[in-house]
Amino acid sequence: MHTTFNYIAYLIYLPVVILVTWRVAYTLFKNSKVFMMDIFHGKSDIALSTNKLFETGFYLLNLGFAFWIMQIATIGSQQELLEKLSAKIGGFFIYLGVMVFFNLYLFFRGRRVSNNKGRLAPVPDPLFPKA
Amino acid sequence: MLYSFVSSNSNTMNLLAYIIYLLITWVITVQVGWLFYRNGRVFILHAMHGDVASTDAINRILLIGYYLLNIGYATMMISTWAPLHSWKEVIDSVSRMTGFIMLTLGIIHCFNMLVIYFLGKKNFHLHL
Repeated sequence: MHTTFNYIAYLIYLPVVILVTWRVAYTLFKNSKVFMMDIFHGKSDIALSTNKLFETGFYLLNLGFAFWIMQIATIGSQQELLEKLSAKIGGFFIYLGVMVFFNLYLFFRGRRVSNNKGRLAPVPDPLFPKA
Repeated sequence: MLYSFVSSNSNTMNLLAYIIYLLITWVITVQVGWLFYRNGRVFILHAMHGDVASTDAINRILLIGYYLLNIGYATMMISTWAPLHSWKEVIDSVSRMTGFIMLTLGIIHCFNMLVIYFLGKKNFHLHL
């Protein structure tokens, strides 16, 4: 059984996936600091901590998923190598894009909720009044 | 000896896969735990109304609990491993199991962030 093409595929897949995930996370979470400062009203310690926690979660989920789907069935030719590799890498990039937009949605939503809370007085809860 | 090492002996292959897998998962678990330990402290501090001694104690206990849980889980997963016969299978299975552990870690982490978020909404002192 010849698995040379598989090794080539893995050798291309792993660096590409890790580098792109790192680059995307770096850009996303460098720019999300502004949102976090808004959400936590300028309290920088808790804002930066939350940013770091989100970043860790992003890395874990995406790299975990990338490793989880890495397995490729035995590849017979160079054409097959290119086809399977592009399908795998392309699929992962689409997933990564969806995750980035989900994170952006969370940031925008968090900022909106935080702004609303700052403007409005807390509404008393008629069912469970606070002591 | 080198030949017997690289030849397709199932026992050797499995052993190799376990060693690589355990090294990777332990490094990841320790790194991530350290990150949580440093960045989660602020949240506990707010929840404990600035009581530093209790915060550090709780943080350390949480870190130890996290290590025990994750390293134990990662090590237990070894018992579900299929016999391996080639280097390709070693790479495949190690990457798959490592990915699974990382995904589980990520999902638990997101769940924890949600719990912190809802606790913050309930507790008026947090102002999250």
